[in-house]
Amino acid sequence: MKISVNTEIAVTYLSARKKQTAVAALGVMFGISMFIFMQSLMKGTNDYFEKMSFNSTPHIRLYSENKVADAHMLTSFLKDPSVKILTNPKQLIQTQGLNNPYGLIREIQRNPQITNVTPQVTADVIYTSGSVQINGNVAGVNIDQEDKMFDVQGNMLSGDLHDLNRVNNGLLIGKGVADKLSLHVGDNITVTSGTGSPTIMKVVGIFATTVKQVDDTKSYANIVQAQNLLGKDRSYVTDIKINLKDYNNAPAVARELETITGYKAEDWVKANEQLKAAFKIRAVILNSVIGVILLVAGFGIYNILNMTIYEKIKEIAILKAQGFSGQAVTSIFLQQAIYIGLIGGIVGIICGFGITLMVSRIYIGAGTLKYLPMSFYIPHYIEAICFGILTTVAAGYFPARKASRVDPVTIIRG
Amino acid sequence: METALKGTGINKVFHDAVNLQVLKNVSLEVKTGEFVSIVGKSGCGKSTLLYVLSTMDTDYEGQLELNETKVTGKSLNELARIRNESIGFVFQFHYLLPDFTCLKNVMIPALRLGKLSKKEVEARAYEKLKMFGVEDQALKKANKLSGGQQQRVAIARALINEPTIIMGDEPTGNLDSKNTGIVFDLFQKLTKEFGQTIITVTHDEDFAKRSDRIIEMADGEIKSHGH
Repeated sequence: MKISVNTEIAVTYLSARKKQTAVAALGVMFGISMFIFMQSLMKGTNDYFEKMSFNSTPHIRLYSENKVADAHMLTSFLKDPSVKILTNPKQLIQTQGLNNPYGLIREIQRNPQITNVTPQVTADVIYTSGSVQINGNVAGVNIDQEDKMFDVQGNMLSGDLHDLNRVNNGLLIGKGVADKLSLHVGDNITVTSGTGSPTIMKVVGIFATTVKQVDDTKSYANIVQAQNLLGKDRSYVTDIKINLKDYNNAPAVARELETITGYKAEDWVKANEQLKAAFKIRAVILNSVIGVILLVAGFGIYNILNMTIYEKIKEIAILKAQGFSGQAVTSIFLQQAIYIGLIGGIVGIICGFGITLMVSRIYIGAGTLKYLPMSFYIPHYIEAICFGILTTVAAGYFPARKASRVDPVTIIRG
Repeated sequence: METALKGTGINKVFHDAVNLQVLKNVSLEVKTGEFVSIVGKSGCGKSTLLYVLSTMDTDYEGQLELNETKVTGKSLNELARIRNESIGFVFQFHYLLPDFTCLKNVMIPALRLGKLSKKEVEARAYEKLKMFGVEDQALKKANKLSGGQQQRVAIARALINEPTIIMGDEPTGNLDSKNTGIVFDLFQKLTKEFGQTIITVTHDEDFAKRSDRIIEMADGEIKSHGH
């Protein structure tokens, strides 16, 4: 391989000052490894929270929204071109359920992007045990499908969720509900909805998510039981929950479903706006920290090259006297910066991976979170090395340009 | 005989606090193979003239021709190329690169020129070092040598690309009489046997007297062309 004389000089200068080179590379290394560590932590955390949110939220929820009365009935009745205006319109009383829900489900399942569809009946209820009453809600579900979509089994503390299909009037309750009413598996509980009559149900299991609010209010029942609770028929369904192959497509698919069905389709992004906001804030914090680290590393390189140039100014003058052009001198010093960046970058990537690996083994043990969530995502490493080289080139450019402008006559004549 | 270097009507003014004209309408011609010494008192402008002739200093009026090609007005990159290829420099101080071995110091200008392979350059560098009797120092770092040896390596470096013109700014100023003798004999050999042109600025009268021609300068003008 033919090594250019510029490269040879750059490498010799670097290796003649091993300590300084090492310190400069160390700066870059630190920046890069922090970059990787923090990116991995952020992505890991974000992925974890996203996954957590899918433990309670489907990718898309289809439901019927209460509507404000409009004039369309009047228009179809009067059939004249006059403009009808309703004064003081009110919310319409709706059955709240979806029309022909199972037909809808069959229709929705044709979309190849959709992996899971399950109906749900949501009922606001009052739990009563002894003289204590608390408010809550019952989700009437097909528990097998629910488990497939939201991993209910992973949250179970005691009991068996499949008992919901076997035990008549079975109920899975949240840990908060169980504690407040001091209930155990096998105990009875009275559940009252706004529209139905009080029903005595049997606790077949207790679950705990990481969200206290859910644990304090929610319970699962068989969908038929929930319909009974509300005093509704078998075709009464309030929500259809849909999971996709790729949850990032949720907003687009939701729009599509809204047009097809005419019902409100809420995607997880909308349902979790505060989560998205938290992601954004974290990204800003992270990027500013990384920015500062790389800036400091950049200044390190700038400093070292500047010092080298002051030290070597006679040598630069001599090189120019011997026929090295300004470009050649720039290349010599820019190459030094790039090599510092490359060395620092490669070591930084290895260190960053090491730190990430070590931190991912730190035990946390809060809720369902056992270890710090870290992601090992290749593009982070590629980004890191690009940033590293970009910083070093930017930091090396100005000293290199200065070196290229050295006037040999003034320097040699003294 | 061909003309190696020709300066016509060269004026140069230093623009420090007051305008000081250091070169006043200087014209000179040096033939190929000549060994010319420029002498004069300190401050007479002889070094300034040398740096103008060397193409390193471009801030002057007048016209300069090297090997019958006009170089005045060429870009800095072109001038760098010309210096690399056809001018060799020897300064009062050796100005070797201390981080490199003597051999590498000699090789660098030739590697820059890139006309020969690395092997050929290395062989030629050894040959030049041998001419000056410092080939046994070749693999030492430049700053480990004695002053005389360093200057001889520096001259070897000036010769590596076999330039047509060699310029010296007091090349023997830091050398004892023995080393001065060695350098002078070599310079003479270069002009006689290899037809290279040598222009040196010197304070050393003996050195000047033994050269082919002495150009005397005073107050920015040439007093005598020595013909």
